[in-house]
Amino acid sequence: MTREDSTPLLTVRGLSKYFPIHATGFRRRVTGLTKAIDDISFELAAGESLGLVGESGCGKTTTARCLLRALMPTAGAVLFRLPDGRRVDLARLSDRELKPIRQHAQMVFQDPYSSLNPRMTVRDIVGEPLVIHRLARGAELDDRVSEILARVGLQPEHRSRYPHAFSGGQRQRIGIARALIMRPSLIVCDEATSALDVSVQAQVLDLLKELQRDFQLTYLFVAHNLDVVRGFCDRVAVMRQGRIVEFARTSDIFSAPQHPYTRILLSAVPSPDPDVPMNFNVGEELARLDAETG
Amino acid sequence: MNFPPEAPLLDVKNLRVSFFTPDGVVGAVQNLSFSIQRGQTLALVGESGSGKSVTALSLLRLVQPPGRIVEGRIVLRSQRAGEIDIAHLDEKSGLLFKVRGGLMSMIFQEPMTALSPVHTIGNQIDEAILVHQDVSRAAARRQTLEMLHRVGIANAGQRYAQYPHELSGGMRQRAVIAMALVCRPELLIADEPTTALDVTIQAQILGLIKTLQREIGCSVLLITHDFGVVAQMADEVAVMKQGEIVERGPVRAVLKNPRHAYTRALLDALPSRRARVA
Repeated sequence: MTREDSTPLLTVRGLSKYFPIHATGFRRRVTGLTKAIDDISFELAAGESLGLVGESGCGKTTTARCLLRALMPTAGAVLFRLPDGRRVDLARLSDRELKPIRQHAQMVFQDPYSSLNPRMTVRDIVGEPLVIHRLARGAELDDRVSEILARVGLQPEHRSRYPHAFSGGQRQRIGIARALIMRPSLIVCDEATSALDVSVQAQVLDLLKELQRDFQLTYLFVAHNLDVVRGFCDRVAVMRQGRIVEFARTSDIFSAPQHPYTRILLSAVPSPDPDVPMNFNVGEELARLDAETG
Repeated sequence: MNFPPEAPLLDVKNLRVSFFTPDGVVGAVQNLSFSIQRGQTLALVGESGSGKSVTALSLLRLVQPPGRIVEGRIVLRSQRAGEIDIAHLDEKSGLLFKVRGGLMSMIFQEPMTALSPVHTIGNQIDEAILVHQDVSRAAARRQTLEMLHRVGIANAGQRYAQYPHELSGGMRQRAVIAMALVCRPELLIADEPTTALDVTIQAQILGLIKTLQREIGCSVLLITHDFGVVAQMADEVAVMKQGEIVERGPVRAVLKNPRHAYTRALLDALPSRRARVA
């Protein structure tokens, strides 16, 4: 029991994903590689929330997708601890071996408007994972959908409605219910609150916190917004150009950032306090950083 | 035209905008009044659906049917064209034409809303000049190149001949700012100009808007949902909720000592404030 708990839920070692660059023309010869992520390593303890932050193109979404094998990593290991204590390398499993494991690691997407099928009712959207994994059917399926909807703050009568009838915040709750119904141990939230108004964002973050306590969830929270991560995550990994440049406890990242990129990133965030001026010169500073590091 | 220095550039009085849908009339903006002083920045802040974008569009008379300005006055005291009540201009009047893009211009959240995908960047900015100024094509081109340079686009000559899809999001927003400011408007309306951008790009674009505002001497109406952007950019702020302004005042006063419960609730929902409490 103690040994089991001390093993990280997720151990990522040397994870890399390269995309080929094709020449124009009929044969589309591969002329180079884009290193979307390059040699990423970190551990995620059970019950923890880890923030993965960075700007567009830094590789945070590629990392998230490689972890859940929505993308096949080029190299590296993703060791995932199953509820029975076994550890499997998600980067190496065949699709068939992977399928039963997928229920333990789920994803919540950014855009609640495009991630829900408009032709499916809430019952079908939320219940679909159970049907795919043949875990429930009929009345039991209905009960479990109602139960999970209640958990995320929706009503049982919402089951027969379609996504268009819901607000952005409610849709994100539907997305969360769909992930949660599998009783996963890991949930990857890819910009889960980025499309929402601040007050709705706060409600969804509160919900995620509450669910984390009740279901012993572990979160990997992918975000470009440093502010969101601040109140939510225990530790933060800052990514730039496919690599993790700084990895520390959230309070340390914000109070004493070590890497120059983290400092620039934090200084660029407009503070709601008029007495804390923001840095408008980040362009020059980033250019200088690139010149120094080559 | 000379106005007393204390006369605001823009006076919006009792503006009401409604949408006449088949299911009934929806009041998007109700009895809205605010003013903007010359050279100042007013931030209009609120959540989705609060009516801030409809307000911005009404200033340029760009509200589309079934929406319509039902009531109110929008008085622009232009140095170049005198006092104009935009709300009551005829749809086809030359003055309205002059207001749009000449005396007032607008930048949007998504730069592609303002850019044509089938014309080069240079052509589109030339066009804005040629519509509003009586100059030759060659002179317009010179102005465009100078403006591209001023908004921080390197290799302006090369960018001039490129299409919007060849530029990054930040570069496109710079090009749109160049287009909006090339005719030296007296009011710039910026509707969530940096919401779609990364923070480091946002910082550069906000800095650019500030610098150019000072150089040109225009006023800015900044529409945003981000109190951080408000605090760093604006002189005054008006908080909107359901088509009405619930609180208005100098930025420092409103952000430090919000008087209205809704403003307080919005500020308390900010993740940075929540982090401090937790």
